Amino acid sequence: MFGQIVWLVLRKDFTIEVRSLEIAYTTLFFAISCVLVFAFALVQEGRAPEGGAAGILWIAIAFAGTLALGRTFERERQAETLRALLLAPAARPAVYVGKLLGIVLLLTAAEFVLVPLVALLFQAPLFAHPIWLALILLTGTIGFAAVGTLFAAMLVRARSRDVLLPVLLYPITVPVIIAGVRATSALLAPEVDAGVLQVWLALLVCFDVVFLTLALWTFEPLMTD
Amino acid sequence: MPNWFMPLAVVCGLMFATAPILIANAPYESTMGLVQKIFYVHLPSAWMFLVGAIVCGIASVRFLFRGDPRQDRLAWAAAELVVLFGAITLVTGPLWARKAWGVWWQWDVRLTSSLMGWMVAVAYLLLRKYGGPGSDKLAAGLALFGMANVPFVYISVNYWRTIHPTTNVVPTLPTSFGLPLWFSAVTFLLLFILLLRMRVRLEEQRARVDALYLSMDA
Amino acid sequence: MKLSTVILVVGCLSIGLGAVVDAQPPPPPQQDEFVPIDQLPPQDQLPAAPMLVAAYCFVVLALFAYLVSVARRLTGVQRELERLEGDVKRGGSA
Repeated sequence: MFGQIVWLVLRKDFTIEVRSLEIAYTTLFFAISCVLVFAFALVQEGRAPEGGAAGILWIAIAFAGTLALGRTFERERQAETLRALLLAPAARPAVYVGKLLGIVLLLTAAEFVLVPLVALLFQAPLFAHPIWLALILLTGTIGFAAVGTLFAAMLVRARSRDVLLPVLLYPITVPVIIAGVRATSALLAPEVDAGVLQVWLALLVCFDVVFLTLALWTFEPLMTD
Repeated sequence: MPNWFMPLAVVCGLMFATAPILIANAPYESTMGLVQKIFYVHLPSAWMFLVGAIVCGIASVRFLFRGDPRQDRLAWAAAELVVLFGAITLVTGPLWARKAWGVWWQWDVRLTSSLMGWMVAVAYLLLRKYGGPGSDKLAAGLALFGMANVPFVYISVNYWRTIHPTTNVVPTLPTSFGLPLWFSAVTFLLLFILLLRMRVRLEEQRARVDALYLSMDA
Repeated sequence: MKLSTVILVVGCLSIGLGAVVDAQPPPPPQQDEFVPIDQLPPQDQLPAAPMLVAAYCFVVLALFAYLVSVARRLTGVQRELERLEGDVKRGGSA
């Protein structure tokens, strides 16, 4: 039953999105512009800064993610579908997980474009260890999206929601971003230190578990109104 | 205001007045000299910063799951105190660090997570002020995440390589250092309780004003 | 609290702290370890007193500023409450 609802919510979001691809295209373009702005700002004498790639990749993900979250729930708000979702005889946590997976998929699609772009512009060997990179990106994205989906859903009916989402989101997701950047940097080093990498990955998984648990626990009372 | 408020305020005021004497009479620390005396305000404010975050978190949980508006008032008051004592900690710390470590700031775990926890409290206040109706519950959700940060701030310094002193320092302090520290800590705790009570009273009065407005419009 | 008062207080505090910051010599390159103060070269040794004074001043000012802020807000709400209760007693609406 839980899985069914998650799948239904996910499919609904996917179907709506595929019709216009509005959020996908705009988020993607924003992420690319973000990386380009960093490239223009930080490149000196034609050379990218040492070790800048990891940070820039994660900043682009964070900014694009915030934008995607805002737009997704704005769409729900305008169509008043959020109320319909909450009125449906579906477990609230299942609705949350469905929305979360939608955001994660969207961000993953953006990362498919961002990673080659950053690797190209900043001469970073991001594809040297693709499986580790995929793990880092996945756990980091899930952690960011877990908190983001909760806060974006919470803020749907609040005033000043556009500016409040980043204000609330970034302090909480700082640990995820830090762990993601450090893990990616460890991966980009000429000699990959597996111990360091595993520590940061373990931390990322830890953050994911904590954030998901807290979000699942509070989604119900927060959305009851 | 309750009966215990004024006597406690008097006691707290007296302790505040006598604390500098105790601090001045404490011996100099061998490696850091005079600047180490910042310790006697830096550590108690850091403790109040963490205690405030815990109070805010617990009150927020109780508000979220039982809807008691008194807990909401307590949570808001506690969040303001977290911002206050966090700011004191984050200013006195670097002032001490500039002399003791040679740099104003280090991006180690303790400092980074404390700064992050402080920013969550500021975000809480911004949400309460500008979020419009319904922001009490949203802020409660935020406070929960902020509270999850507190144990991390405390124990992180024991497990990561950092220049900040570990949690081992305080239990092993000699009495000549320990006495001013605990005196200062109790003073700050009393101040925390007094400020919290005042701030909660402000919210109670605001709620009465709102109730009066509502009853008049009926 | 009036905006101009807030700006004035924040401005004074920042100028004060800025003066303390500017009065220091430029920071030495970052150290990785704790170096006891008597082992530092003499030009790196800062006077401690300005830091200590600045720290304690900030603590006192911050606590005092918060106390004043709460007291002002409390008296404001108290006044409004008394006004409203007077209105209700007289049997009028808002």
